[in-house]
Amino acid sequence: MQQITLTINGKSVTAEVDERTLLLEFIRDVAGYTGTHNGCMEARCGCCAVEVDGEIVKSCNVLALQVAGRSVTTVEGLSPQRLRPLEHITTQSLAGVYKPLDALGADAKDLHPLQSAFHRKHALQCGFCTPGMLMVLKDYLEDNPEPTREDVRRAISGNLCRCTGYQHIVDAAMDAAQQMRVAAAGADSTADAADA
Amino acid sequence: MTETLPRTRRQTNPPAARKLVGQSMPRKEDLALLTGTARFIDDIRLPGMLYAKILRSSTAHARLNRVDTSKALQQPGVHAALCGQDLLGKVKPWGDMMQDLLVGDHFPFATDKIMYEGQEIAAVVADTKYQALDALEVIEVDYDQLPVLVDPEKAISPDAPVIQEGISYEFGDGNIFDRYRVRVGDIEETERGADLVVRQRFTSNRQAGAALDPHGCVASYDSFTGNLTIYSSTQSIFMVRDILADTLQIPRNRVRVIVPDVGAGFGSKAQMFAHEVIASVLSMQLGRPVHLVLGRGEIFRAGTCRTGQVRYAELFLKRDGRITGYRDYVVHNCGAMSLWGNQVIHIGTNVGMLPYPIPNVHVDADIVHTNTAPAGPLRGFGIPQMIFAKEQLVDVAAEQLGIDPLELRARNVVRPETFPYRTPMGQVIDSTSIYDCLHKCGEAIDWERKRAERVPYEGVGLGVSMKYTSCRHPSFDTDLSAVRLRLETDGTVTIFSSDVSHGQSHATFLAQVVGDVLGVGFEKVNLAQPDSATSPFGLGTFASRAAAVLGTACRQAAERLREKVVTIAAHVLEASPEDLETGNDRVYVRGLPDSGLYLENLASYAAYRTHQLPPGFEPTLESVATYDTPTEREAPDGSGNLSVTYSSAAHAAHVRVDPDTGRVTVVDYAMAHDTGVVINPLVVEGQHQGGFLMGIGMALGEDYVYDEDGHLLSASFKDYQAPYATELPELTKIYEIPAPSLTIPGGQKGAGESGAGPVPAAIANAVYDATGVRFTALPITPERMLLALKEKERQGVDTLRFPDDMPDFTGPRTHQEWPEPTASDEGDILL
Ligand code: FES
Ligand code: FES
Repeated sequence: MQQITLTINGKSVTAEVDERTLLLEFIRDVAGYTGTHNGCMEARCGCCAVEVDGEIVKSCNVLALQVAGRSVTTVEGLSPQRLRPLEHITTQSLAGVYKPLDALGADAKDLHPLQSAFHRKHALQCGFCTPGMLMVLKDYLEDNPEPTREDVRRAISGNLCRCTGYQHIVDAAMDAAQQMRVAAAGADSTADAADA
Repeated sequence: MTETLPRTRRQTNPPAARKLVGQSMPRKEDLALLTGTARFIDDIRLPGMLYAKILRSSTAHARLNRVDTSKALQQPGVHAALCGQDLLGKVKPWGDMMQDLLVGDHFPFATDKIMYEGQEIAAVVADTKYQALDALEVIEVDYDQLPVLVDPEKAISPDAPVIQEGISYEFGDGNIFDRYRVRVGDIEETERGADLVVRQRFTSNRQAGAALDPHGCVASYDSFTGNLTIYSSTQSIFMVRDILADTLQIPRNRVRVIVPDVGAGFGSKAQMFAHEVIASVLSMQLGRPVHLVLGRGEIFRAGTCRTGQVRYAELFLKRDGRITGYRDYVVHNCGAMSLWGNQVIHIGTNVGMLPYPIPNVHVDADIVHTNTAPAGPLRGFGIPQMIFAKEQLVDVAAEQLGIDPLELRARNVVRPETFPYRTPMGQVIDSTSIYDCLHKCGEAIDWERKRAERVPYEGVGLGVSMKYTSCRHPSFDTDLSAVRLRLETDGTVTIFSSDVSHGQSHATFLAQVVGDVLGVGFEKVNLAQPDSATSPFGLGTFASRAAAVLGTACRQAAERLREKVVTIAAHVLEASPEDLETGNDRVYVRGLPDSGLYLENLASYAAYRTHQLPPGFEPTLESVATYDTPTEREAPDGSGNLSVTYSSAAHAAHVRVDPDTGRVTVVDYAMAHDTGVVINPLVVEGQHQGGFLMGIGMALGEDYVYDEDGHLLSASFKDYQAPYATELPELTKIYEIPAPSLTIPGGQKGAGESGAGPVPAAIANAVYDATGVRFTALPITPERMLLALKEKERQGVDTLRFPDDMPDFTGPRTHQEWPEPTASDEGDILL
């Protein structure tokens, strides 16, 4: 047993674990982020992909010990869970009288551009591969903002999806890339304005 | 993008334009799945939960002498261990219901015999997964190796070792556990009158569902109430509940099956598995929740995969290209045990005859056991295997008759003057646009130009099929789904259904149906988690049945609910029910959509203000509807209308073969489908694309490769060739030519499997067009392609059948040498 500390989605997590503990198991069983999935445990399906200090890794293929002290981002870190108005269907007769309660959850408008593109383009069916796909594509699009469809296919060629046939995933990635470019351009121009 | 085309021929009346049905609504399911909050089976955590692991056989066929778990019990953290002997006489074998056997052939563990690699031998439950795995290593197993049967054709030989001992089948004690036959028309007469007979032996591969979300369960027995709750990653909660309760011999109302999010199944989760019994028994013994989720290798070896087939197929034609008959002898490989395997050949053959209304059909099949993984349903349920053989024969015939393959198909596809039309095989075609689909996909791939302008090592090929939309299984006389709706007291609606959504988007499309009928907002409709304690009885989600069968049950339940709210509204508004409409979350007098009564008010009358109700009105607003399709049982001659309606698919493939590497690349692909009335076009498009992926996998790489000792060599994603994104072409040529079902009230047809059926056939035909090699075995791997191309060059021929024309091919080469079916016309009791 050994005590290790990892930062996961910005929070520090310390635990005493069996040396054999995989990063995947640390994320899921110790830190409790079950959005990172185990689809094969043999580094083939990509369902377990997470970012470690900005680099994509298949967390089933890394011991937690190997990345002790480093910072991990999982799908849960992509659009932070935060207090937001609960999906609220007020009764008609009281329409507008009460504001919706806040509850923990993700808000559609806070979604990462990839998440919302996946939603719009129906890039997920059972959704099991989705967290891995999202993490890999996020990492890829941040470095390659103007990919071709071919490039996107290559980027996800370590990830399996058995449901979608990938077509809608590529559609969604292209759409998200566009959104991310627009956002980046917006951020740049604000930065320029600030500089000036 | 899906393009919807107007039908050029016979137009059936589409249902009146509706608000939600027909729209590509983004899905209700997505948010949780996108943010990681969805909970799959491995994400379930219960207080006090223990972890179980299974010891599986590393040999494929052996006499099991002894299993000793005593050392495992001494290991740290271990709470209990189990093996077959512990359960003999306490747990009832299962598998009889679906296979029409007198006794079941499935048991949680091997007891005296091991029949396939990966079979359950023992299990251990401990505080942690690692402790359980460590303890498995000290279990002692003593066995004597037996000769292994991998080849299904060897399994039928009289001197083959018998795999399932002690079970007497209708046909004796051998490895043939069932037979199937079709006798439609007069095949001898057809043969005499045929101008052309084309024949070929075909073998098809075994493909895994390989759903990424593993099979698994968490069983939790409450020793206070005696209730067993099991969370399971399954496609059918009542199949699991009924068989589990029967196996454990406990009351069915004490077993509760709850389904978390299921990361797909494709047929591989459509039955109860041994691990569900094992976890339940352990939980019952310890009174604590037991987690048992399988690893990838276990799923490959002991989950189910597609049945393998050897077909000796013949097609009879007239000079003008009319198909007059089909004859086949099939050896159908179901592995060492199989719940659904025998059904696959029945349904796959019956429905697989389409889209041709072939007047004379003669099929014999021996359904056999081998020392290989259990076979079962997989996307397409026997159709892709059948279509692979039949559609290649069509191309062989086209070449010999000098007729273009598209034209030959066009002359034969079912195209009746009036609907419904009954084919000689018994299918009742209530509508179809297959003829238009065929031409559309040909046009989209640029068939004529590509056939005329030859490019070396490139070619085009076609495949057509019609897929069942749900099915009345020959061993089951049922084809039902049910929905219960509750109009909640605030005007929202809850849908209860036992048909598990595992990618099919039930929450979305059922809400579209309910929204339209009841006039309630899409956002107000919620689908409850499938739970056998609260959901109405239904068969589950498989066989492309959700939109049509479950959708119809849902429509009927919504109509019943609508009638109730309209009755209350009519009473309160003192109006006649005929003058009332529903919409905008209310019931209003026609023409005044902004007036009327909100559903929430009507619902609250029915719950809290019952004096407002019409006299005699039974309070609360629930409705339930069960829809059992008007399908037929299979007749003794194999004919019958097993499916309520049929979805058409016409596919065209354009492939390029690299002669240096042997790699087949699909460069372009077009598919035209008739899915009837489409509830959510985006979802249906996704289903077709996913089906295509499975079809490509079956055609080009996915396979269960065994060595002679029955070891599965492709039991990991490293060796199992599941296609990645780079291996698929851009699939943009997807067309819908809707011919709404006349039988299904909303006009829907099944979407889930149309995309898969014709793919291996279309690709194989294109490969022949590109290389002159007619692949008679799947998958078409680069190694096989290279071998075939070399041999073709060596022989100096233009065309070659692979593997039949290979020098080391040992099977029969001409039809005179083909094996006699072991079934005979006399003596057998049919059905
Ligand atoms: S679980 Fe890590 S790649 Fe499959
Ligand atoms: S959506 Fe099911 S595996 Fe990708």
